[in-house]
Amino acid sequence: MHQKTKISRRSTVKAIALATTMLAVSFPAMAQDKPLEGKTVGVTVIGTDHHWDLMAYRGQVDRLKELGAEVIALDAGRNDQTQISQIQTLIAQKPDAILEQLGNLDVLNPWLQRIRQADIPLFTVDTSTPHAINNTTSNNYSIGAELALQMVNDMGGKGKVAVFNGFYSVPVCKIRYDQLKYVLQSFPEIEIIEPELRDVIPNTVQQAYSDVTDILTQYGEDSDLKSVWACWDVPMIGATQAIEAAGRKDVMTYGVDGSPEYVEMVATEGSPAGAVAAQQPYEIGKRAADNVAAYLAGEEVPPFTFVPAVLITKENAAETAEDFLPKKD
Amino acid sequence: MTAVEHAPATSRGWFNSKVFAKLAIRLGAFAAFAGIMIYFALTARGFTTTYNMINVVEQSTILGFLAFAMTVVFIGTGTDVQKGGIDLSIAANAGLCAAVYAVMMREGYGNYVAIPAAIGTGMVIGFFNGLAVVTLKIMPLLGTLAVMNIAAGVELTLTENTVVPVQSDLMTVLAFGRFLGISTLAWCLIIGSVLLVWAIHYSKIGLRLYAVGGHIEAARAAGINTGRYVYGAYIFSGFMAGVASILIVSRLSSSTPGTGLMLLPILAAALLGTVFSRRFIPTIGGTLLAALFIGFLANGFQLLGISSYWVSGVQGALILLVVTVTSFAKKH
Repeated sequence: MHQKTKISRRSTVKAIALATTMLAVSFPAMAQDKPLEGKTVGVTVIGTDHHWDLMAYRGQVDRLKELGAEVIALDAGRNDQTQISQIQTLIAQKPDAILEQLGNLDVLNPWLQRIRQADIPLFTVDTSTPHAINNTTSNNYSIGAELALQMVNDMGGKGKVAVFNGFYSVPVCKIRYDQLKYVLQSFPEIEIIEPELRDVIPNTVQQAYSDVTDILTQYGEDSDLKSVWACWDVPMIGATQAIEAAGRKDVMTYGVDGSPEYVEMVATEGSPAGAVAAQQPYEIGKRAADNVAAYLAGEEVPPFTFVPAVLITKENAAETAEDFLPKKD
Repeated sequence: MTAVEHAPATSRGWFNSKVFAKLAIRLGAFAAFAGIMIYFALTARGFTTTYNMINVVEQSTILGFLAFAMTVVFIGTGTDVQKGGIDLSIAANAGLCAAVYAVMMREGYGNYVAIPAAIGTGMVIGFFNGLAVVTLKIMPLLGTLAVMNIAAGVELTLTENTVVPVQSDLMTVLAFGRFLGISTLAWCLIIGSVLLVWAIHYSKIGLRLYAVGGHIEAARAAGINTGRYVYGAYIFSGFMAGVASILIVSRLSSSTPGTGLMLLPILAAALLGTVFSRRFIPTIGGTLLAALFIGFLANGFQLLGISSYWVSGVQGALILLVVTVTSFAKKH
């Protein structure tokens, strides 16, 4: 029985991977060798200091170049003012299309609107905005719900959870957090600790480490604290280390993205890292670039392109984690 | 020129070579600026368009305002890194003021309350700097560093490290408004510069401030209340942080964490600015040129398709070059 589920899980993962590949292969933009020859495409990202961001950024830039485009690649180094200046100059450069990845929507929206007012087609990566023609992303609704349900399962349907909620203004985090809350509505015996914790950039890991250490002191072994959750997994690296350092066996961590270090923790027997919804950021970036090519070739592009994510848990890590573990050269 | 005429005859040879070195450096600075501009104009598509030029001025406004503040502190306290003054808290202060403004707007106070509150906050922080440096006689590097941490801490407490969005008509006018074809932010820089050039270089207060920063004992002997001027420089710096914070919020439609990161570009502009002055002293005009230079550099790189990663590296190299050259020229 156990063997069977293993096989079926593995084949599910394989099937998803296969479907993704086929989708990419059958993508109409592929018909021509270099459909973006002679086109200029701007790529603007808020920062690339995290694994996900860097991979998605590289996916876009690599794929755009592969398709023959001239790429104006702009990394704002986590500085909102720099990103705004870069977008402003980018608009003046009048590229054939602009790809925007993540960042604070409150800051960006007026400027994304200006991109459209300048008649430049706008595509986004992981950023849901009314101004974009297409947003290529993971299905964050299902990611949020699946991860929350896994956590509820591991908690046995009751107990306390410490939640990091510092990035509610980032759309994908809002969705995942809202999904968590929605799932928890059905489990009244699970309580989110107030006040919620704030994850930060930079110093994400260190700050999460000290925050979780404080929480562990405040909520001892008999407190029913069972989980720590964040809408991404970099703070969970610090959280997991803090739980390990405190020698606690009763608290598990849950995150999203699939940063190699965190996936490794989930895959490690006895580590307090519970589960991670691992995304395929490089694939997301590539698919966003394909969408640009399709649109500029005059094809219809849907408002959303979802790239599948994989929920890696302690139980299935042996089959699912391999592609997400740190690359050993 | 007048300096040469008044030079004592005995030291004429030495003086001439010094004057020559300074002149060469200053002309070199202008030539480098002009050369880079010409290079961009010839090679970067769209660099010379009016639209792009105004964009760069607009992008330099916030940096310019904060660098002006740092320049005024330098003028009032001297540019010597160890003995002179510095305001390390300026960027964090601007972040705090932006947070105060955004949070007050969120709580429903209008611009008439929130703007004075933000600027007032900046001036209070400036007063703390004065207190640390003048009254408590703490080394400016340490005193303002401590105040920087206070400002950053209060900002975090206010915003909980989140983005606080602000929507108001004034913000839209500041961020996207245009008058005579020039954007509001660019006007702010133009008007701000003119006012400051007058206040610092032509008013009595400005000239006394130079005296205090240039030779504090001499200024004191001449009957200037030097402590009051140093206090004033720091409080003015806080005032500018408050004004800049309103512009920051308008440009970003919100208060965001990370304004403190501006400290290095601010220092770069204020230090780089000294190269453009005759005696390598901080001036408003020099700082304005330096802020624009930094803006044009980032802009030109982007237009040329040079990786944005190079911009900060080049900025750092420029600072190093400027500090080396000016300190060398001052000594010899």
